[in-house]
Amino acid sequence: MTQSYLVAALMGSVVTAIVAYFLHRFYAAQATTRIRVEAHARTDALAQTQARRTEETGQEEQAKQELESAIVDLRDDLARQIATTDEIRVALKTAVEEKDQWTQQARQIADEASRLKSLAATFERWHEQMISLMTQNQDMHAKNHELSAIVRHVVIVSLNASIEAARAGPAGRGFAVVASEVRELAARSEELSKSYRNSLHRNDLTTTTTFQDIQAGGKMITASLGSVEALANQLQSKLH
Amino acid sequence: MISSQAKDSIERIFYKAAQARLPMAPGDVCDIVPIKPGSVAGKGAIEARAKDGGATQAGRPQAPTGQVVVLTISGILFRLMLLLHFNEDDSTRDYFVKDDAQSTFGEIVAEISNLCCGAMNQELLRYFPDLGMSTPYMLSAQCVPHLENLKPSYLSSYAIQLGDSVYVAATLCVCAAAPIDFVADVSAVEESSGELELF
Repeated sequence: MTQSYLVAALMGSVVTAIVAYFLHRFYAAQATTRIRVEAHARTDALAQTQARRTEETGQEEQAKQELESAIVDLRDDLARQIATTDEIRVALKTAVEEKDQWTQQARQIADEASRLKSLAATFERWHEQMISLMTQNQDMHAKNHELSAIVRHVVIVSLNASIEAARAGPAGRGFAVVASEVRELAARSEELSKSYRNSLHRNDLTTTTTFQDIQAGGKMITASLGSVEALANQLQSKLH
Repeated sequence: MISSQAKDSIERIFYKAAQARLPMAPGDVCDIVPIKPGSVAGKGAIEARAKDGGATQAGRPQAPTGQVVVLTISGILFRLMLLLHFNEDDSTRDYFVKDDAQSTFGEIVAEISNLCCGAMNQELLRYFPDLGMSTPYMLSAQCVPHLENLKPSYLSSYAIQLGDSVYVAATLCVCAAAPIDFVADVSAVEESSGELELF
């Protein structure tokens, strides 16, 4: 009895083991299939990712080449810019030097114009000399006036002498000739005095107008130099 | 040497300056009449007017006696001389001196002449940028006929009546070293504030 129980138990165990084995095989096959499907899916995803990466890498490579090309271009540009900047710097330096020279020249012109304005004093000195000349002329006018008065007196005296000579009759004939000569000389002196007076007036006018011309010309030159000075100062302040 | 329009312009400038500066009161008459060459100052139209107005013959300037005020405006190519002949009679003295006890008649007429010439100078500066003006100087009126000796390009005399009985003679003389031609427009309004700048 016991044996039969044992056999039955053994048989049951064997059957159970066989069933368990097959069940294990079935589930293992299912799991394998599932894993394979998942592996395929992952392989596909990885392939897609790989393709994208490859494409991205290509794009990056292209971008890199473009960037390198741009860098080369920029480097060339920079070199050119540096060269241009150097040229400009040299030109600027030259311009600054020239500007300094011009400023200096403008200052020199302004100083020179300012200095030359003192010429006005020279012109005024010449004009003052006119006063001295005119005073001399007036003195000559007075002397000529006196001479004219003397000549008029001599004319009267000679006329009186002629009258006295006529009264003396034949004895006064020689005296009459002398009186006539004196009257003649007095008339010539009077003419000379008039002519001299005219010359003095002409001299007055010529002297006055000439010296006034010098004085006015001096003012004109001073004013012009003032304009030159102002322009040079304007130029100087613009150059600063 | 001086074109006829330049002569007219100089005359217009003189008229404007004389009318602005010679009358002592703004409302005073200032009649200017050109004197023809060879005639005695004051003869001609102004003499007739003086007679019509009842003025005495002594009221007119009797050239060449008395004193004239001489002024010069110098440019690069020309010089212009203005000679103003004031009679020193009572009416002229009363007209110009008035109550001024500080100055002599000579000083006052020299000052007035200076203002008149200064006004001409200011006007001429519009056409000739480089000009200068002298200070006034008194000369005998007998010097005036000798202006011909300066070989002027333009010489012109005028009789000026101021108020009722004051007569002043004026002579303009321009000596030019080159042809001068310009047209003066004297219609601009007179500026009354420039008197100090004239000195």
